[in-house]
Amino acid sequence: MKKMRTFKGGYRFLNFEGQPKDILEEASIPSRVTIPLRQGFGGEGDCLVNPGDKVSAGQIIGAHDYGVSSPVHASISGVVTEVKRFNYFKRDCLMVSIQGDGSPEYQRATGATSAWEQLSEEAIERLLYLSGVTALDREGIPTRMRSSVILPEDVTSLIIHGVGSEPYNTSLEMQLQGKHMLNLVEGIRILRKIMAKAKVYLAINCQRKKILEQINKLTAQYEWLEVCPLEPRYPQGFDEMLVSAILGQKFPYGYSAANIGVVILNVQAVLQAYEAVVEGKPLIERTIALCGPAFKEPLHIKARIGTALNDIVSPRIKEGITPRFVLNGILTGPELKDLTLPIDKTYAQILAIPENHKREFLSFLQFGPLSDSYSHTFVAQAYSKAVKSCETNMHGEARPCISCNYCEEVCPVGIIPHLLSKYVQRSIIDETLMNLRIFNCIECGLCSYVCPSKIPLAKHIKEGQEKLTVSGCDRNQCILPYFSNLRGIEEYRGAKQL
Amino acid sequence: MRLILRNLDTIRGILDKNKKLACLKPIINAIDGFYFGTDKVTSLPHILDHMDLKRYMTFVIVGLLPATIAAVYMWGLRVLAVIAVSYIFGGIVEAAFAVIRKKEIHEGFLVTGLIFPLILPPTIPLWLVAVGVMFGVMFGKEVFGGTGRNIFNPAIVGRIFLTVAFPQMMTTSWSHPFTHGLGGFVNYSADAVAQATPLALFKAEKIVTHYGDLFFGNTMGCIGETCRAGIILGGIFLIAAKISNWRLPLSCLLSLIVFSTLGNIFAPDIFAPALFQILSGGFLFGIFFMVTDPVTAPCTRAGKWIGGALFGFLVVLIRGLSGYVEGVMFSILLLNVFAPLIDHVVVDVKYPKLKT
Repeated sequence: MKKMRTFKGGYRFLNFEGQPKDILEEASIPSRVTIPLRQGFGGEGDCLVNPGDKVSAGQIIGAHDYGVSSPVHASISGVVTEVKRFNYFKRDCLMVSIQGDGSPEYQRATGATSAWEQLSEEAIERLLYLSGVTALDREGIPTRMRSSVILPEDVTSLIIHGVGSEPYNTSLEMQLQGKHMLNLVEGIRILRKIMAKAKVYLAINCQRKKILEQINKLTAQYEWLEVCPLEPRYPQGFDEMLVSAILGQKFPYGYSAANIGVVILNVQAVLQAYEAVVEGKPLIERTIALCGPAFKEPLHIKARIGTALNDIVSPRIKEGITPRFVLNGILTGPELKDLTLPIDKTYAQILAIPENHKREFLSFLQFGPLSDSYSHTFVAQAYSKAVKSCETNMHGEARPCISCNYCEEVCPVGIIPHLLSKYVQRSIIDETLMNLRIFNCIECGLCSYVCPSKIPLAKHIKEGQEKLTVSGCDRNQCILPYFSNLRGIEEYRGAKQL
Repeated sequence: MRLILRNLDTIRGILDKNKKLACLKPIINAIDGFYFGTDKVTSLPHILDHMDLKRYMTFVIVGLLPATIAAVYMWGLRVLAVIAVSYIFGGIVEAAFAVIRKKEIHEGFLVTGLIFPLILPPTIPLWLVAVGVMFGVMFGKEVFGGTGRNIFNPAIVGRIFLTVAFPQMMTTSWSHPFTHGLGGFVNYSADAVAQATPLALFKAEKIVTHYGDLFFGNTMGCIGETCRAGIILGGIFLIAAKISNWRLPLSCLLSLIVFSTLGNIFAPDIFAPALFQILSGGFLFGIFFMVTDPVTAPCTRAGKWIGGALFGFLVVLIRGLSGYVEGVMFSILLLNVFAPLIDHVVVDVKYPKLKT
């Protein structure tokens, strides 16, 4: 038995209440959608439609050819009612509103075929690009159409992961049920065809024994593919940790894996790539996991892109609860305050957890059968089946740091959060912070989570980074001297600013 | 529960009206927080660990309970009076500083208030306990800025102050422990005798006390340090609960074994054998409850190993070669002094200067 690949630090989140069930529900076709023209990786596309135009689902309504970007499609058929700028995740973004006619049909791309092996690489890349799949995940799928910062032939490793190390995860069983398992393998083969030099790693949660077994069987014949069972210890699902765990390579913190020739994709992205090439299906809908105890029934839902959040979450929330909605990851994700905003390509999960302002009587003497903690001081840590509660209470008052070192023990990148936080709080902003590798922080938020003094360490570290940048320190100084072969750096910076 | 809440609200109402009494607010807030916890919610990350400092300190006290109960059994109910005096007078200093600083009262004192009496001789006069704990809390912790900023373990500062200022009462008079029947649970105090502790016996007459007596506490010694069985139990409980880090106690233990064995081989008259050194004096109490105090110990992982090695070496050295019988106390103080330096060096080595 090979030693499991892993990393130092991290924390295993176990059994939080409100895990999404293995059910996939189809949402009804919305009567109105609002589609942001900047979704996923890449810049904002130019708007190709005007108010009053008739569009059909699957028609490209936003694209541009001069920078890193991927096209955006109309997700329903109907009439364009409005093209307007909105504040979308703290950035200005052009949005197209469409009043739909309710038909579920959509345009398929021409040239798609199940005999994809006969297609040329360029034709496959075209299909991927035109379907909009290439904007998925952190640095997109590289094609000749500049959908990512590197070209397909630069890719040395392709990592596909379904590790699920967060407290709440999209169910792998649901994603790979039925023929989807075969589609995944097929999708990997398609991607491998355009990235011919790449070695493919399929990282799967080591506890999904059945899936691992099936995948091992299906892929045994491909010598360029390796299945890596990984422990779902947070933040294993982060790009940084996947690269260091699977490839044993250093990660250029602050840049993306693409810069060292590695492409990292989710299982869902690969499935969508398969659908794009074989079925010609544009990326107009996606599967979103609705997780958390505030939902009546946590499950997965397939919804058209551009559907307002309200339509999706409101009917499914338990009554009498003030929920907080969080996007993609409960430790790192932004809070979704405005429920009139639409969902886009990047939505993988929507979490709803109850706001809890309740004070607990003598909380430090409770046995805590539902309490999750890094320390072993609650009954819930004694038996592995305990279902942990999940709400937003601080569970304690802010106190000065006692150097208990929990944060250093869990830090996946080996920095000392409490030391950095002390420097930042005392406004000592200089090279010392850079020497302590403040820019290696991947903002996983684990240090803040475990702190018994309730110090927002991750926030302090981010503050420190910002102040350093303002005072003229260049974070590239920490990275560039250590890497000789970074590719696409300029493009990456450009894409981030667009 | 409602009753407490109502009372607190009434008191707060009075404080709000009366300007002179308003300075007592930190005390009321501390009581309020003690009972009811917080109603604040998180920002990012959206969920937080259920652990807080109150629970942290509560667990240390739970870890100290076996040793404390054993102490009551061996030295009589007077131990409870000593603990009460320590809590009251230490608490007054703590509250006074909080009122002057207009800051909240922190939980760290809960532990200091219990550890301090456990490292005093059983015959200690109660007024001396009060003097010691007030000195310890004031000069060991508050002058540095309170919990989290102190360089020294406040209990050790108090204890060393007493040892240096009142050597007569601190080092010569001990009691015989109760060992039969209900023992100290039904007696107020044990008889004071002018007899020596196991370490002093070894130093003066090369007598190695029976290991069984040492392990279960049938010897002279400080209030909480003699029942080693209870200390080990409590210490392992704390390590299992991840309250204290396992690295520091382990490295202290290994270091003591190595250096005392070396010393014992080359100079058996001066250096006692390893097992005797482990089981005598305050060594076990020190490594499980005092060295592991996270604020004053080295915080880096490598620093913990280095600090532990240093600690063991110092204990053997002071016990063997100095005029003092017991070296744990001074070793802890010295470890506290060196902790920031050790951490500094470790951090410098771990994070080399950036390439340019």
